[in-house]
Amino acid sequence: MNRLLFYITTFVVVFLSLLPFAWFFNTSLKTPLEITSIPPVLIPSGTLRSYQSAIEEYNLLHYVKNSVIVAGSTTFFTILISIFAGYALARLRLKYKGVIMGSLLLVSMFPQISIAGPVWKILQSLGWLNSYQGLIIPYITLTLPLGIWILASFFRELPGELEDAARIDGCSHFQTLFKIMVPLAAPGVFTAAILVFIYAWNEFFFALLIMTQQKFQTLPVGIALFQGQYTLPWGEIAAASTVATVPLVFLVFIFQKRIVRGLSAGAIKG
Amino acid sequence: MNHVSFFSQMKLSLLTREKIFAIALITPCFLLVATLAFYPILYSFYLSLHKIILGLPSLGQPFIGLENFRELLSDKVAIHSLINTFIFVFSSTFLEIFFGLVIALVLNKHFRGRGMVRAAILVPWAIPTVVSSQMWRFIFNDNYGLLNYIVFGSVTSSYTAWLAHPVSAFSAIVAADVWKTSSFAGLLILAGLQTIPDELYEAARIDGASAWQQFRKITLPLIKPALLIALLFRTMDAFRVFDLVFVMTQGGPADSTNVLQFYGYKKIFAEGLMGYGSTISVLVFLIIFIVAIFYIKVIGTRLFQEKG
Amino acid sequence: MNSTTSGGYPENCCGFIKAKQKFKNHDSTDSPSRAKSRGKLKLMNAFFLNLLLPRSGSYHNFKVSKPTIIFLSFVFLLVSAFLLTGCIKKSVEEETTIHFVTWKPNIPGAWEEIFKIFKAEHPDIKVVKEVGPHSSTAFHDLLTQKLKNRSRDIDVFLMDVIWPPEFAAAGWAMSLDDLFPASEQEQFLSGTILANTYEGQIYGVPLFIDSGVLYYRKDLLDRYGFTPPETWQELVYQAKKIVFNESKKNRELYGFSGQFKQYEGLVCNIMEYILSNRGNLVNPESTEPEIARKPALEAVRFVRDNIIGGIAPVGLLTYQEPESLDLFIQGKAVFHRNWPYAWEVSNNPERSVISGKVGITRLPHFPGGKSFSTLGGWQLGISNYSENKEAAWTFVEFLTSERIQKLLALKAGRAPTRRALYDNSEILRAYPHFSDMKDVFLTAYPRPRTPLYPAVSNVLQRYFSKTISSRSSNIEKEAESASREIEKILSLTKK
Repeated sequence: MNRLLFYITTFVVVFLSLLPFAWFFNTSLKTPLEITSIPPVLIPSGTLRSYQSAIEEYNLLHYVKNSVIVAGSTTFFTILISIFAGYALARLRLKYKGVIMGSLLLVSMFPQISIAGPVWKILQSLGWLNSYQGLIIPYITLTLPLGIWILASFFRELPGELEDAARIDGCSHFQTLFKIMVPLAAPGVFTAAILVFIYAWNEFFFALLIMTQQKFQTLPVGIALFQGQYTLPWGEIAAASTVATVPLVFLVFIFQKRIVRGLSAGAIKG
Repeated sequence: MNHVSFFSQMKLSLLTREKIFAIALITPCFLLVATLAFYPILYSFYLSLHKIILGLPSLGQPFIGLENFRELLSDKVAIHSLINTFIFVFSSTFLEIFFGLVIALVLNKHFRGRGMVRAAILVPWAIPTVVSSQMWRFIFNDNYGLLNYIVFGSVTSSYTAWLAHPVSAFSAIVAADVWKTSSFAGLLILAGLQTIPDELYEAARIDGASAWQQFRKITLPLIKPALLIALLFRTMDAFRVFDLVFVMTQGGPADSTNVLQFYGYKKIFAEGLMGYGSTISVLVFLIIFIVAIFYIKVIGTRLFQEKG
Repeated sequence: MNSTTSGGYPENCCGFIKAKQKFKNHDSTDSPSRAKSRGKLKLMNAFFLNLLLPRSGSYHNFKVSKPTIIFLSFVFLLVSAFLLTGCIKKSVEEETTIHFVTWKPNIPGAWEEIFKIFKAEHPDIKVVKEVGPHSSTAFHDLLTQKLKNRSRDIDVFLMDVIWPPEFAAAGWAMSLDDLFPASEQEQFLSGTILANTYEGQIYGVPLFIDSGVLYYRKDLLDRYGFTPPETWQELVYQAKKIVFNESKKNRELYGFSGQFKQYEGLVCNIMEYILSNRGNLVNPESTEPEIARKPALEAVRFVRDNIIGGIAPVGLLTYQEPESLDLFIQGKAVFHRNWPYAWEVSNNPERSVISGKVGITRLPHFPGGKSFSTLGGWQLGISNYSENKEAAWTFVEFLTSERIQKLLALKAGRAPTRRALYDNSEILRAYPHFSDMKDVFLTAYPRPRTPLYPAVSNVLQRYFSKTISSRSSNIEKEAESASREIEKILSLTKK
């Protein structure tokens, strides 16, 4: 009996998790008439018209390119800085560690609206609105708490004797960090990279505010603003959404173990 | 040879050098966070004390003290959006923890294909919020929405406009949010579940405890920290809801889904009332700050203590 | 000294400890004060040395350690990348070009032609087109951001009809008084000129006009012997009768379709009811809000009780133009309120099942009132920070000239803003209903003209949405508080 309940629950949970996305994907393969038919058509005709239209008329590939550039750069720089800071917080003797970690946690909770206006003004005065760095740098700031949190917890797990042994061998601090610690914490680095990438790829609020020129906009902004005064192109929106989500779904399926480990790093260590 | 003499002047202990190194490592992070996170918060405070209307630059930016805050107290729309936000936070967080618990209990067991199931449950979390919002907007559509089809089948005359009524529109937003983030809550709780040693359950079973009793007496108390952490993260995120409202309802109908962050956005960026809008953003920040402090006190400072 | 623990340790790490031990002993004889200052110096030295020096066997080579090189080179790359992007941006703007910021046209072919003609006639001016995002609000944000920035990549831009006061007050749009004299202005529809005027000066040239019109199912009205309704009450009556009688064949037919979601379009729709009841949103002379006066209250009550949930589906509260039009072209609505663009779409057999069965007329009014439609449309403005103002004006003049407006009308279905074109035989042949529409366009009424219109509009949207979405709403009370809010906003501009 218990077993049956268990299987049913599992099935329902999986089904509900995947249904909305499957439906949208289904929609991206329909003709315009099928999309707006009442009642809805269940089996699509399998046309790629929506994708074609999204690419040709709605600049879908430009959005993808921008998202890749922004998310990729953010991930690279955030991980780099997180390695530095995470290591320092985890292993080195530093005063006020608690305060620093606490304030990082606080930063991750800042409501976007509270910093949006001033950040916008700063970027405006630097002339960095509608530029890649204008979005990447705030993103780095926003994802640092996440990166540092994960990397610190992974660094903490490594045996304490490592540094002492390295010290005995006369390694400099930098060498210790990059030649010994990082390779050993590689899983953590990898996990943090995935999580940061997902965050940067999905971010909407700042992308909406900072990138107003179409040639710089990222996927989420593009998808949110597909609607024009005269058209609500559900097919193209579904197609663009699929394109925006498929890479992430792949990441999740391949790396689900790591992701789970990374997300619960805070919980376990706490 | 130079370096040898250089070193002769240095009597730095390992400890000091390490401190310097540590400070050097922290510096980039510190700089970024200070400029783009802490400074903006302070600047928001500063802006909220002025009257700033971007559309009328001729009026300048006079200092008006707490006038904006006084106006905020009597702003019915702001109060309404505050209430909306609180209701959203409570209902979505409660549901997410509940479903998260279910998910965690399911995933805790070892079974074949657990990896696949875990991945499937993570998909909602990985999807961009904007995509999720468009998806749900489409599902709730009053003509070709999937929900109408599931509930009413082909009886198209009964199709409901879910997003047209204040209560159902609000529920729709909560539903979309719960769908998206229950798995995240589930993962956090799962981490807690996995720290419970099996022997405890063994012992309880030998003593004749039922599954429900085991749950109540063993599981719940031991996952309390994980539950609280999940609660903390979800509450913070729920207060900041924006994408869902922007894409699904734009605050309507009749402001029923107008939440604080969306209202602040409209004030600052759509209406150009930067002074007053900053007041709202300060309010949101204070609320989150207070809630965060409260949670952290409850969870304890274990999280921040250094290890070894 | 080599490590004896597990591998992976670098082999050139070495006797730093040895050296350190040596120096520790060395310094123990110093006096306290010298030690302190020496200490500070040590700290600084240590900072750089620690980072830069390798711990290799010999201290003779001043080598910078590998990680540091990598670190510094990344920093260098970063900095140069940012500088470079800044430089590239600047160099592109050295040429004599004008930047035209527009939004995505429905019929791009017509625009291609227009640019070709301009290039042929003005080879010395290069026009760089920038297409903004699809939604009007997003386009507004793009423009305002560029103008707030005093950006140099904007010279000519399109403005929605409600933006000129905002752009004028903020100093973004250039005053066109010298270039666009009253004699020229008279050739345009007066409503559009009014919309572009702020505090006595003109800030934009109208390009094409939009105004609300009523579409109806000619076939259904003929079947029941109706002529297009003159009053709203007549419309409701006709709709009810038709829906009832058709219900046996078509269970999904509704009486009416319009735009009632909480957005700008809501204000456009409801204003038409209010104006046609001899009411107004804001008195244009005294700038007092009039939504709490009786005519406005009656109109709103009428919409709430008879339209939403009456002859129209409740879903209208979530509809903008596309959804409401969809309902009509799928044959599920008898009457439909929309902008002129819907004519093309309704008669396009690829998208509409009612192609050829559509009629178009002016909107109804209330007894004792007149028919009014909300003024929409787009105008061309010139940035006050433009460095090529003459070239920009040449372009604007060209676009709004009679022949180009005619081209836009014929090729893209855009209703022109020059009066003369409404008597043009070619246009009337292609769009016979334009002759009827001329009156409608002539009397199209603008929304309240104030630089703070977005804030005013938000109050109105809120008020309308609240009252029409709930049967039990207290219209008078809501109107009062909305009125006071609007007064507060407008008073800011009176200083």
